Amino acid sequence: MQRRTLLKLGAASAAVLIVAGGAAALLQPGLKGGVLSDSGREVFFAVGRAVLDKTLPANEGARQVALQGLLTRVDILVQSLPHHAQAELSQLLALLASTAGRRTLVGLSQPWPEASIFDIQHALQDMRLSSLALRQQAYAALHDITAGAYFSDPSSWPLLGYPGPLKI
Amino acid sequence: MSQLKDPIREGLARGWKVMGGPRGPVPERITCDVAIIGSGAGAGITAELLAKAGLQVVIIEEGPLKSSSDFNQKESEAYPSLYQESAARKTEDKAINILQGRCVGGSTTVNWTSSFRTPASTLKFWQDKFGLSGYNVEALAPYFAQAEQRLNITPWLVPPNENNDLLRRGAAKLGIPASAISRNVKGCWNLGSCGLGCPTNAKQSMLVTTIPAALDLGAQLLVETHAESFELANGKVTALLCRSRQSSEEKTGLAQVEHGQSAIKIVAKHYVLAGGAINSPAVLLRSGAPDPHGVLGARTFLHPVVMSSSVFEQRVEAWNGAPQTIYSDHFLDTQAVDGPIGYKLEAPPLHPVIFASTVPGFGQGQHDLLKSFPHNHTLLALLRDGFHDESRGGQVKLRGDSSAVLDYPLTPYVMEGGRKALLSMMEIQFAAGAKQVLPLHEMAQPYTSWAQARDAVNALPMKPMLTRVVSAHVMGGCGLAGTERQGVARPDGVHWQLENLSIHDGSLFPTSIGANPQLSIYGAVNRLAQGLAKKLTGRDVTLA
Repeated sequence: MQRRTLLKLGAASAAVLIVAGGAAALLQPGLKGGVLSDSGREVFFAVGRAVLDKTLPANEGARQVALQGLLTRVDILVQSLPHHAQAELSQLLALLASTAGRRTLVGLSQPWPEASIFDIQHALQDMRLSSLALRQQAYAALHDITAGAYFSDPSSWPLLGYPGPLKI
Repeated sequence: MSQLKDPIREGLARGWKVMGGPRGPVPERITCDVAIIGSGAGAGITAELLAKAGLQVVIIEEGPLKSSSDFNQKESEAYPSLYQESAARKTEDKAINILQGRCVGGSTTVNWTSSFRTPASTLKFWQDKFGLSGYNVEALAPYFAQAEQRLNITPWLVPPNENNDLLRRGAAKLGIPASAISRNVKGCWNLGSCGLGCPTNAKQSMLVTTIPAALDLGAQLLVETHAESFELANGKVTALLCRSRQSSEEKTGLAQVEHGQSAIKIVAKHYVLAGGAINSPAVLLRSGAPDPHGVLGARTFLHPVVMSSSVFEQRVEAWNGAPQTIYSDHFLDTQAVDGPIGYKLEAPPLHPVIFASTVPGFGQGQHDLLKSFPHNHTLLALLRDGFHDESRGGQVKLRGDSSAVLDYPLTPYVMEGGRKALLSMMEIQFAAGAKQVLPLHEMAQPYTSWAQARDAVNALPMKPMLTRVVSAHVMGGCGLAGTERQGVARPDGVHWQLENLSIHDGSLFPTSIGANPQLSIYGAVNRLAQGLAKKLTGRDVTLA
């Protein structure tokens, strides 16, 4: 990660780093090699559980498969973004995955994999209505990428009642 | 994959000169009469006319060449391959998502075919405020008529789909006039997939009309080639510097391929910048083009769009059938152009990705809305920006990596217009029989009566980010003006400070149009390009 570009995320992220007492170099990037890094996957897996809660299959096994499918589609979506957007998303995920960022920007006390759906949804709702631009932007990115990626695959269309395009 | 005839593949087989990306390497140096940056509405019209005048034309397009054989009506392929920034281009503060084409044909390859001449009230404003006396209804009429004939722009006589008919019926119940939209189609199958590339070649986009005409006349097309900057000397452009990308076709699976790039220098007698708003001013910014009055990239307009989503008892299937065939200008026509912001109402098509990413929230509420998809009807309002002191549009800037970004502040004046537009759309949806209506705002709930919806929306904070705002119409940034102080381009489209550079795209507009802009670009550029052909060759040419 470039410290110079990280700082563009603004005062809020700088504050998070000061709270964390760390430097940008200590954060794990959210993307690695153009796809989600382990920490990026952790964030999207948890956000997917919360955003798509009622939409994912009820059966736990099928739910896990659907969430893995979501992560694959997020990877595909990320690859199609221009470099500047990938860099921003990588920085955002790095912040959200860090302990300080998760606590400050997301408002989630527990690590992502351990947080309950209720707690993640509660945190997302706070971000959604936050007066802090970075928190609102983070919510919008997580929400839109999760929902858009999930429904980019025909396997998800039956839930929408969408028959797919007409064969020609 | 479409099994129909593909005029682009046929043209390539006939020997069209297309290079770049999968079409092979581009030479390091090219000389020609005219270099045209872009291949969308303005570029296409210009390319056909200049090629007809006998000029050696090179067209430079940063996106790929895709055609009907590739258009499989899937969002997961169309957005990454045909749209700027994978259909996720955003304003600097992320408050507005912008849909803009990035492929051969530009936005005309992916637009929804809505065709309107520039409204008289818009032209009058340009005459009065920007010294553009030649931009009047009478003077432009023949150029619009030629473009309409060339692109088969006619009233759409097929009955509207339910999605559009709901707008017609709801408006009629309230005494609000609504009319049919003219479309640039020939033999349309009524599929509803216009936004994903027309798989039947019915849409008369630049991809299947003017660009093929220019290529048949010997023009060269460089694809996946990014126009970086101009070299300038003594008030003239001396060269165009480009970078040609390695083919995106070479990407396999999830493995990342480092894109090879080669530098290309194009030397022409004349240059036409037609990369579309945001992109065209960005080329000039990267070039350090003279801008003595600080107007370059300023006054970039978006027709900011707010939306109201509703659910009906009956199936609507908003993905099915020709999109946007009914509109209402009632809320543009009933107030002064420079008064409170007016808005145009239309009914957009819905497909899974765009629908799901736009449905607000999460959990049970979101799930219920997702399940309503076949019964969902969404209306949109295009806000007419640029006609008031509190609606000065946005400023195009360059990021550290020299890519373009638009800083567009959504002012309280614009957002109050958004509130009125949400109210109008909700009232129409209830009048049409909606069971529930949800204005797209993070603090809104689905409402089941007009009174409940009205009271709630009147109390909503109309703030950016909380209110869902999108745009599919980017205009301005290289504005036309009768004086150097007010604009980037002269009334004839030539750059005020660079004598061999013309600007021929939607970035020329000094305000937003107040209507879907494609025909405004065709009409205005048709006249500019005929003038340019005459100036460069002495010949009179017209569109076929």
